[in-house]
Amino acid sequence: MVGLSHKTAPVEVRERIAFTAPGRLSEALAGLKSAGITEAVLLSTCNRTELYVAGDTGPDVLLELLAQLHPEAPPKLSSYCEERRGHRVVEHLFRVTSGLESMVLGESDIARQVKDAYGAAAQAGLTGPTLNPLFHKALEASKRARTELDLSRGAFSVGHAAAQLAEQLFGSLRGRGVLILGAGDMSEATARHLASAGADTIFVANRTFERAARLAEVLGGRAIDYEAFPAQLAKVDIVVASTSAPRPVVTRALIESSLPARRHRPLFLIDIAVPRDIEASAGDLSDVYLYDIDDLQAVVSVESAARQRRAAKAETLISHEAQVYLEKSRAALAAAPLVTALRARHQAVLQSELARLYRRLPDLTDAERAAIEAFGESVLQKIAHDPTRQIRVLAEEQPEKLDTIREVFALDPSPGPFPSVFPTSSAEGKGSIPSGSPSLAPSETETGEGRGRGMGR
Amino acid sequence: MILVFTLALYLVGAALLGASVIVRREGALRSAGWIAGGLGALLHAAAIGLRCAALHRAPFVTPAESLSLLAWLLVLLYLGAQLLWRLTAAGALALGLGFLLLFLAGRLGDATPVGAASPLLAEQGVSLHVIATLASFGAFALAFCCAALFLLEQKLLKSKRALGWLKVLPPLVVADRAALTLVGIGFPLLTLGILSGLIRAAGGGLKPGWASDPKLLLAYGVWGIYGAYLWVRFRSGWPPAHTALVLLVGLLLCLLVFVVPTAVHRFG
Repeated sequence: MVGLSHKTAPVEVRERIAFTAPGRLSEALAGLKSAGITEAVLLSTCNRTELYVAGDTGPDVLLELLAQLHPEAPPKLSSYCEERRGHRVVEHLFRVTSGLESMVLGESDIARQVKDAYGAAAQAGLTGPTLNPLFHKALEASKRARTELDLSRGAFSVGHAAAQLAEQLFGSLRGRGVLILGAGDMSEATARHLASAGADTIFVANRTFERAARLAEVLGGRAIDYEAFPAQLAKVDIVVASTSAPRPVVTRALIESSLPARRHRPLFLIDIAVPRDIEASAGDLSDVYLYDIDDLQAVVSVESAARQRRAAKAETLISHEAQVYLEKSRAALAAAPLVTALRARHQAVLQSELARLYRRLPDLTDAERAAIEAFGESVLQKIAHDPTRQIRVLAEEQPEKLDTIREVFALDPSPGPFPSVFPTSSAEGKGSIPSGSPSLAPSETETGEGRGRGMGR
Repeated sequence: MILVFTLALYLVGAALLGASVIVRREGALRSAGWIAGGLGALLHAAAIGLRCAALHRAPFVTPAESLSLLAWLLVLLYLGAQLLWRLTAAGALALGLGFLLLFLAGRLGDATPVGAASPLLAEQGVSLHVIATLASFGAFALAFCCAALFLLEQKLLKSKRALGWLKVLPPLVVADRAALTLVGIGFPLLTLGILSGLIRAAGGGLKPGWASDPKLLLAYGVWGIYGAYLWVRFRSGWPPAHTALVLLVGLLLCLLVFVVPTAVHRFG
């Protein structure tokens, strides 16, 4: 995994490597595919852009690829990025999905965003035997943390923080005008918080008018033409911007032109888009208060002690879930050669017996042969079912007994050391990527049957 | 003795409200601060009333009494303003200022022997003149407290630092509105005070040269400053941050009015 987050890069950098604009993610996934990547998930939210890849592609190559996929990738991207390999990828993804790595600790939006990113990768044909179980399990663990520990309760979301700041600025929001730019989920969540704080004059502008109309209906506001929003800047008190535009749609000049008519009424600008929608220098104007996604972090960091306690419990749970997953993955990997060998042995016996039977009964029709083969397969499946299951259980619980199984079934006694999908050696850890690093992820020697090549190579 | 308890209550009230701001919790500390301030104001009213009854004269004969009355009016105005707006932090300043004024009044009262009251004080017009002027100064002092909080909060919001403090400060717009409203209350009171004084002066019987009395001239200055404040707020549209600075200048002039030597405004 290579990527950056709100912990390693400011919004000025994150917005230049965000794949949130319409069509950009699918283009990037197509780019990954054409670069020969077989399994990859690209998670891009306002707080992070992370590329999860299974295979032996080194992180420096992945980083270069990531930079190539985005036309506005910042220079020296590597200095903001982290790379993780092996078991650290598993732990990180589990933490990310459950909201433990989020700007808003425990927030639930990230699980949906991970699910969407995984869905997009699956649709692009970029998921497989390594990433499928990993993402499924991460989403399951996240759900467990939320339901069992109520992790999201009291989560102080960005929308909540924005509404609280608005109240700190204006007192009651009753009678205050709010302009919502963009009709996405973030806009809706923030607008709902503002509405519940009393804001009752809400205008919604979106490039697609129908979406604006739908959100306006939900909020009890009014949809306006996207082109008409600059005129509203002189009238409203709060602007929430969360469009997917690649460049600022609310410029300093636009704000400046609205100020005379405002006669020093404060204007609260909430920019929760990445890339940002509002020109940063607009915040320098008198009576204008501009907060972007990073600024809101200062507000959301004030959290209740109870929530911190729940988060601590969630840390334990998520860590345990990740460990269980890793152990099962390793066990499955250890069992795989035995199961394969056992099935190969059964197949060999079946094929040999079928050949003998066909020699004795040469007049069998194709239909009769097909029926006999199906019968044989069915018997084999039934015979192999219990031993296969037992081998997997033993691999998890008593791996030392696998050798006995090999002897009992006279299977290949030396399949070689099993490759590790999620190695735990110190060389496979976490680190930031120094600029121009020639090779940061030397591959482990691949052995065995070529199965289970890890993402962390 | 009552004034000592009053002083203690003002100090405790200011400390409790200040502590509620410092620990950023508006709970029991805030309520206890209000109760202390309210009890202090009640005791203070009783002390003023008892003194009037004992000496059979108005409560503003000496500079010390005027300061004491100003302190009481300031605290009373704060308690009224608190009912309208969330002004805990301003309360810490207002009660602290009330304590300081009353403490100075006590020191000044001990040092200055009480002389015979001027017969002028028996006139209702003069009482109106003094009380209206002192009340206006109380309103201006409280407006300054609100303006100071406005400037502090604006700085926090702009710098986006120490945002945790915001929850114990009044909302920015409320602090600005409170300052404007208090000046809106204080300005007509000051106008009334000055006009009632001028009407009385025109009636004769004052020392020669009363028209050039420094206190009166400075009072004109104060009137001009706060009048200009209201004018720019309603007409010309200065940024609130600039007009908040005007309130600082106005309060300094108010203090000058108090301390400037005068021959006309002596009633004891």
